[in-house]
Amino acid sequence: MKMLTANSLTTGEVVFWDHGQWSVRFADGERFEADEAADAALALAETQPKIAVAAYLIDVEDNDGHWVPIAFRERLRALGPSNTPQHGKQADGDADVEAFQASHSSARSTGRVKLIKR
Amino acid sequence: MYRYDSLDKEMLTDRSNEFRHQAARRLSGEITEDQFKPLRLMNGLYLQLHAYMLRIAIPFGTLNTKQLRRLAWVAKTYDKGYGHFTTRTNLQLHWIKLRDAPDILDALAEVDLHAIQTSGNCIRNITADPYAGATADEIDDPRVWVEAMRQWSTNHPEYSYLPRKFKIAVTAAEKDRAAIRSYDVGLHLRRTRDGELSFEVMVGGGQGRTPYLAKTIREHLPAGRLLSYLDAVLRVYNRQSRRDNIHKQRIKILVATLGVEEFTRQVEAEWALIEGADIDLPDTELARIRAAFMPCAFDPQPASSPVFEAAKADPEFARFTRRNVHPHKVPGYAIVDISLKVPGETPGDASSEQMDLVADLADAYSQGEVRINYTQNLVLPHVKLADVPAIYAALKPAGLATANMDLITDIIACPGLDYCTLANARAIPVAQSIAKRFADPERAEQIGDLKINISGCINACGHHHLGAIGILGVDKKGEEYYQLSLGGSGGDDAELAKILGPAMSGPAIPDAIETLVETYIVHRKDGERFLDTVRRTGLQPFKEAVYASAD
Repeated sequence: MKMLTANSLTTGEVVFWDHGQWSVRFADGERFEADEAADAALALAETQPKIAVAAYLIDVEDNDGHWVPIAFRERLRALGPSNTPQHGKQADGDADVEAFQASHSSARSTGRVKLIKR
Repeated sequence: MYRYDSLDKEMLTDRSNEFRHQAARRLSGEITEDQFKPLRLMNGLYLQLHAYMLRIAIPFGTLNTKQLRRLAWVAKTYDKGYGHFTTRTNLQLHWIKLRDAPDILDALAEVDLHAIQTSGNCIRNITADPYAGATADEIDDPRVWVEAMRQWSTNHPEYSYLPRKFKIAVTAAEKDRAAIRSYDVGLHLRRTRDGELSFEVMVGGGQGRTPYLAKTIREHLPAGRLLSYLDAVLRVYNRQSRRDNIHKQRIKILVATLGVEEFTRQVEAEWALIEGADIDLPDTELARIRAAFMPCAFDPQPASSPVFEAAKADPEFARFTRRNVHPHKVPGYAIVDISLKVPGETPGDASSEQMDLVADLADAYSQGEVRINYTQNLVLPHVKLADVPAIYAALKPAGLATANMDLITDIIACPGLDYCTLANARAIPVAQSIAKRFADPERAEQIGDLKINISGCINACGHHHLGAIGILGVDKKGEEYYQLSLGGSGGDDAELAKILGPAMSGPAIPDAIETLVETYIVHRKDGERFLDTVRRTGLQPFKEAVYASAD
């Protein structure tokens, strides 16, 4: 499964594609089973450059009923920095955060699709 | 310290206004991200993992207290109330919003601060000895020369599009506290036998994927000819360097490819064509800059202070004096290091409250001056010995009195994968886990000087090549792994660390460090630092110990 992520243009905050718009919550993110649908969402997102920058697809997997990014890097983006648990999305401390943290050991760096060097 | 003149101030205001318009055009959709990105990077604004990051230049690592308070205010108002001091003596704010960036640049410009040339293929912020103007072992204040270079290199049209970034560091002291041989150009100011100031010019150092220590291309450059000689170096580089291969664009590759003799020959030939009088600063201008760095008068003090000596009855204060207090050129004064390395905290981070406190202490006790050390610590450069106990008492409740300079817990770490888009692995949690393991200050002091430097990727912002123990984060089949290397130093005994063996997982690192330390203690001879023992014995005993215990 794939999700589409980017950073908000005005704030830089990590955002996730949610059926035609961007959400700051990973849990709201739309998941794509088919590559074609994911690519179409990416193409659509790129027509909205005033809202988000540097959009790209990531791989996600089901982890005991919670979706988490496969790439360790993407987990950090979706959570916040590990040295400051009070900063970033992890500060909300919801079930997704716990799922991310519990699934730490299965992280992979290869879950960033069509890696863009920024 | 040097104050910007009207030209400098005008330039900063213009740049800030220009950026406000550029940002507005980007936000309105008038220009694309591809068009805007180089413009924001020219103003130190990067897009990192969680937000925009602003890298603010701190030339020669010197701040007045108005500037430090402004940095604290910006961090509190526009970020999350803290900043991260880097190995280039810059300050990075990691949670910046694009919409706030123009206001931030305005606020910085008001106190002569900016983020110009903190990104891009230009001459970056030039660093210097953090004890400049205060240490007894220097023959001149290196900041005079750095300021001359700052004026020359800022917005220099010929060097705004170099093959790659270009970093310069300067010292004028016997002891190298600025890691000068690890930069594109390292300058060591000395006095010749006939009393003239002259630079040893070293070129082609650098870390990253292909590390080199800079090589001397001129033993004695008359100091007044510095700018024209640098012009010659940069012109040879600009003309000859590979622009087609990102791994071969730094000057270190050019020096290594041509060989130091041929590179030197080309620089000297180029220099002969340059009309020095057009470029080198006239003595009057140098004198003007020099006057700006003249310290305030130092009140005469007795060489020793009964208050200072009596305070050493507190063993913790005594340790602070052993590790963080250094001789000053004026009797009765001291240089005081402020550690940003509390075991378990993020190396190099300072909260707005901490910055404000340091500014207050600098105003009260240090002629209103604060320095940034490339080791990610702060310095109060001009302190009366008698005032050190009061400073210590004020620092301690603020978490700023850790007595660990150059010890195993004084770890350099880049932001790593917690913040940086380039990183392969996290650096901060590794530093935290090691520092917590060795948090007992008595034990750390028994182990003695031991620099651990950690980088989250091969770009080496955490100076892992220069650590007595260097740690490099790598991506091994998708997991965070860490490669250890030993024997590096950025100081007078500069050497690049050598890889110890296969990389290991993050949780294994504190045990591996423990094993390295135990091995050192078994092998060390009287007075040997960890680095000395490694260099004497070679890596073998350390390798055997680490990898035997890992099996």
